[in-house]
Amino acid sequence: MILRALSADLLKIRRKGVWFLVLLGSLGLVVLQALNFGLRYDYLVGKLYKEDAWGGLAGEIFDLVPIVLVLGATLIASQIANVEHLNNSWKQLLALPISRAAVFTSKYLVGVIALTVACVLLFAGTIGLGLILGFSAGDIPYLKLLKLSFLPFLGALPMLALQLYLSLTFKNQALPIMIGITAAIATMFAANYPEILPLAWPFLAYYAKPAMPVASGIILFILIYLFGTGHFVRKDVD
Amino acid sequence: MSELVIQTKDLNKKYGGRYAVRHLNLEIARGEIYGFLGPNGAGKTTTIRMLLGLIRPTMGSIRIFGQDLKKEKMNILRKVGSLVEYPSNYGHLTATQNLEAVRRILDVPKSRIDEVLDIVSLTKEAKRPVKGYSLGMKQRLGIATALLGNPELLILDEPTNGLDPEGIHEIRELIRSMPKQHGITVLVSSHLLSEVEQMAGTVGIIREGEMVFQDTISNLQQQASGGFRLVVSEPQEALHLVRGHGYAGQLENGGLSLEQLSDPEVALLVKRLVDNNHAIYRVEEKRRTLEDIFMQVIEQGGFQ
Repeated sequence: MILRALSADLLKIRRKGVWFLVLLGSLGLVVLQALNFGLRYDYLVGKLYKEDAWGGLAGEIFDLVPIVLVLGATLIASQIANVEHLNNSWKQLLALPISRAAVFTSKYLVGVIALTVACVLLFAGTIGLGLILGFSAGDIPYLKLLKLSFLPFLGALPMLALQLYLSLTFKNQALPIMIGITAAIATMFAANYPEILPLAWPFLAYYAKPAMPVASGIILFILIYLFGTGHFVRKDVD
Repeated sequence: MSELVIQTKDLNKKYGGRYAVRHLNLEIARGEIYGFLGPNGAGKTTTIRMLLGLIRPTMGSIRIFGQDLKKEKMNILRKVGSLVEYPSNYGHLTATQNLEAVRRILDVPKSRIDEVLDIVSLTKEAKRPVKGYSLGMKQRLGIATALLGNPELLILDEPTNGLDPEGIHEIRELIRSMPKQHGITVLVSSHLLSEVEQMAGTVGIIREGEMVFQDTISNLQQQASGGFRLVVSEPQEALHLVRGHGYAGQLENGGLSLEQLSDPEVALLVKRLVDNNHAIYRVEEKRRTLEDIFMQVIEQGGFQ
């Protein structure tokens, strides 16, 4: 049942900008670093990251990963929900013989899939950029780049869950988007936050010991999802 | 009594302290077109949302196809097609894609998309994005969507709202063909009696959340006769004469307004008037339109 809803959702988000945001977020980061390294090649590769060019590239890219992740989660969640809000189609969708839990779960899956695709693109794009910049193909730090691409996402899962819940619940997207943008900006100072704060997790998942932020990220995502499902199943649909 | 497709018992929905629907007992038999009438805000849409499981009743039960909606929601909804108020298509998709998005959830054969497009005559326009459609086309697509799952029951909330006369006619013909051609029971709501009386066999009239009339349309029409009117040369004297024969009547716009009489009584009365040298210009039956009756029912909350 969930798969049927998911297949319908993937059709519905066509031309709604979800995949554009996925491309913009992931490859945008790569293009920024292409400019950064292209303009300051001698300084960055020749001096600053002389010992570890790949590591330098990963570090430069990572600086913007948390903010882009949270921003991406916000905008993608809003677009996923807006497909139904803007067309007044909740009533049509929920009068179909499909459980509300399946409808809700499918929206979450679309969000997770979209951001996962973005992570895969970031991984591939980073390797591609490194190779174009002439870094040694034999030295590619696959594990480090995998961590760079996926661990912050796991740490950002609670934000994705929250944004999906808010966007799906409120017809007016101003509130969820405002919260999301504020949160995205707040991640820039994550190094100063206590570990317990979810906003710090996308950052901590890469830099500190990842076990805590990643595990808590996944757990909190599931909790918010379950709470959201409980609410969605019961609510009256206008 | 034929099988009931929809039966609600003492259905209530309360918002805040106010009842949107109160003590509603809806009964719709298989194969009929049921017109669900009432002014805007009377509780039609609230009732329909409850029938579709979109909102929960505060109290009361709903049985559809003889099954309890609360327990058998999925089984029931599989056999129901619906269109709730204004269209809810995905504007950025074409008609075919819209139907495909719903088809993937219903899991019916792909060929069904072309069939329903054909039923609502949208085959030629099917490849255009829906946001460029006229309201009438959007409503037709909504009906196509409702038909996609081969429903046994069609629930249409104000399907002709906002359409031009041609669009109204098209939708009406479409609805009228449902029981005959497809064996579908139809519940159609409207705030215009004239729209429903041309297709419905039974009507329910709801006012301030309560059902004030539920019967066949012909029984409603029988209430329509409202006496008759005589236009004569000397109304004053004629009235005197009429009253002398024991009939109630009064002057109205230079004519005589009389209560409802049987045919022989009318004939006799006319003969008496002629015998007394009254010139009779006109004998008219005052047929109240259904709209008048509708207004009376709505204003008074039932027939007196």
